[in-house]
Amino acid sequence: MAHPRPKGQIAVSAGVLALGAIVLAGAWELPAGGGYAQVGPGVVPRIVGGVLLLLGALLLREALTGGFHGVDEEAEVHLPMDWKAFGWLSGGIIVYGLLVERAGFLIASTLLFVAVARGFTSRRWLSNALVGLAVSAFIFAVFNYGLGLQLPAGILKGLLP
Amino acid sequence: MDIWAQLINGFAVALTAQNLMWALLGVTLGTAVGVLPGVGPAVTVALLLPITTKVDASGALIMFAGIYYGAMYGGSTTSILLNTPGESATIVTAMEGNQMARRGRAGPALATSAIGSFIAGTIATIGLTFLSPLVVELGLKFGPPEYFALMVVAFTTVSSVLGNSTLRGMTSLALGLAIGLVGIDNQTGQARFSYGVPQLLDGIEVVTIAVGLFAVGETIYNASKMSQVKETLERMSGSIWMKADDWKRSWKPWIRGTLIGFPFGSIPAGGAEIPTFLSYAIEKKLSRNPEEFGSGAIEGVAGPEAANNASSTGAMVPLLTLGLPTSATAAILLSAFQQYGLQPGPMLFEANSALVWGLIASFYVGNVMLLVLNLPMVGLWVKLLEIPKPQLYAGILVFATMGVYGMRQSPFDVFLLYGVGLAGFLMRRFGFPAAPVIVGMILGPLAEEQMRRALAISQGSPMIFFTHPISAALLALAVTVILAPWLWRRFGPARRRS
Repeated sequence: MAHPRPKGQIAVSAGVLALGAIVLAGAWELPAGGGYAQVGPGVVPRIVGGVLLLLGALLLREALTGGFHGVDEEAEVHLPMDWKAFGWLSGGIIVYGLLVERAGFLIASTLLFVAVARGFTSRRWLSNALVGLAVSAFIFAVFNYGLGLQLPAGILKGLLP
Repeated sequence: MDIWAQLINGFAVALTAQNLMWALLGVTLGTAVGVLPGVGPAVTVALLLPITTKVDASGALIMFAGIYYGAMYGGSTTSILLNTPGESATIVTAMEGNQMARRGRAGPALATSAIGSFIAGTIATIGLTFLSPLVVELGLKFGPPEYFALMVVAFTTVSSVLGNSTLRGMTSLALGLAIGLVGIDNQTGQARFSYGVPQLLDGIEVVTIAVGLFAVGETIYNASKMSQVKETLERMSGSIWMKADDWKRSWKPWIRGTLIGFPFGSIPAGGAEIPTFLSYAIEKKLSRNPEEFGSGAIEGVAGPEAANNASSTGAMVPLLTLGLPTSATAAILLSAFQQYGLQPGPMLFEANSALVWGLIASFYVGNVMLLVLNLPMVGLWVKLLEIPKPQLYAGILVFATMGVYGMRQSPFDVFLLYGVGLAGFLMRRFGFPAAPVIVGMILGPLAEEQMRRALAISQGSPMIFFTHPISAALLALAVTVILAPWLWRRFGPARRRS
């Protein structure tokens, strides 16, 4: 039976190769000699980069000749990728990063909670928002009033004790 | 000082009210995160690393260790009651234990795994107590080339034993080594791979990587790939207590499991998977009714659970005596030591004897606490499993991002976390194990240091690794570990099949 070419596996192998190239390129700018040891900060990066290139090549060979050993691509096809869920989670985390200092921890964190719950197909917006707010408020209180750390209050600054 | 005197000193440390509280907190948290799917001991300890600036070393380490072995107890509860296994080492328990639960025998399954874990944990701690001083003696004779070779062995075993492909395990390890390179080289002060980004000069925090791979990656994977998979939670029915027959069938597997698990854990071979599978196979072979296996044989829960626990306690031997972590959580424990400027190894036993023995003594105490937490109070933990998935994962991600952001108060880290999470998702999707990444990034810089020290002694000649007999033997072992599966595939009997 002819195997369809596993595009994902080829892409992953290429990614490992690319990483190896990046590490090797960075390593070349570091001195390899010097010091008593005659082993500078550039030696281990060169080894790691080289090893990554080798591993990437071996992975690529596996991907092109019947696929990665022990990875059942057929089973993966039966578990199709749910891009909507992926989007909700990705969006939730990225928005958190953008808002945590501008809007404040409480708002960013509550939004993240709602987005992740939605990614897992829960549409109970209001109750999720309330639970998310409660969890976030608990964390905020413990950190800012208990441990003396500063999670940003953001636009709620005037409202919070 | 002999072992007894040191152990008694250790108990003096572990039994202070404060340290008892840290131990209780640790094992309770450990049980909770062991029970909850989607979050494990590695993530929990990583998220709690910042407390090292506020709590004294013995308290924090006692708590972290409690999380580590407490999660083993909690994990078995989940694998018995839920049809999706929590962590890989509990796959066997999941098979047999879940079958028992489906047949209305959830109680005895939970009991045999809790009591078995207690017996295994306690015997393994005794093993740890008496084996550690011997390994320390040995370790004191080692120089930089031997340490380097030992670390190479740990690298190879961790990446070839965890997961089902040596090639992908090695790739994960190399990725971890590359991550470990980022930041200032601690021997020359040279910045490496920071690309002018100031946040990268201090290196990439293990918190970001562990939380990204284990919490974020796992959650994204679960949301986008597993949404169709139905989970069924078995009811806790019947009595929790075991009948006389259950005891009779359990006690030998407990002991055998312990005897298999402890040695596997204490050589730096990584992972509790092999000993659990081995124990399962042995119990099946020795059982008078092997036909029950696969449909709920109590021996198949008792043995592997004991093996799992004994091996995770055994893993403390290489960690404490030689500074060699063999799992992701152990690697993060190592970095917790580093937060206090401590380096596990033979010198730690000399210089910080009270701390180390206090930690070892706390294992005895913690196992007793865990027995109480997981047997009479098991109903409480089962409630955790009733948290609906959307809210559970949402909560996990809220804690995870908060921990990573709060560490340095930097949104940069949140974006980095997302990037690592995506990598974790891809790794999960394509069957790359995550643990070698963590071990690589923490052990990598230490291995580099030992290597450069060794080369300083030999004035640059790499022959030093081969002329020292112990290091040569260890390196040969490492090569064997990498090549064995390949050679087996190529020349072994399995070849006929294809």
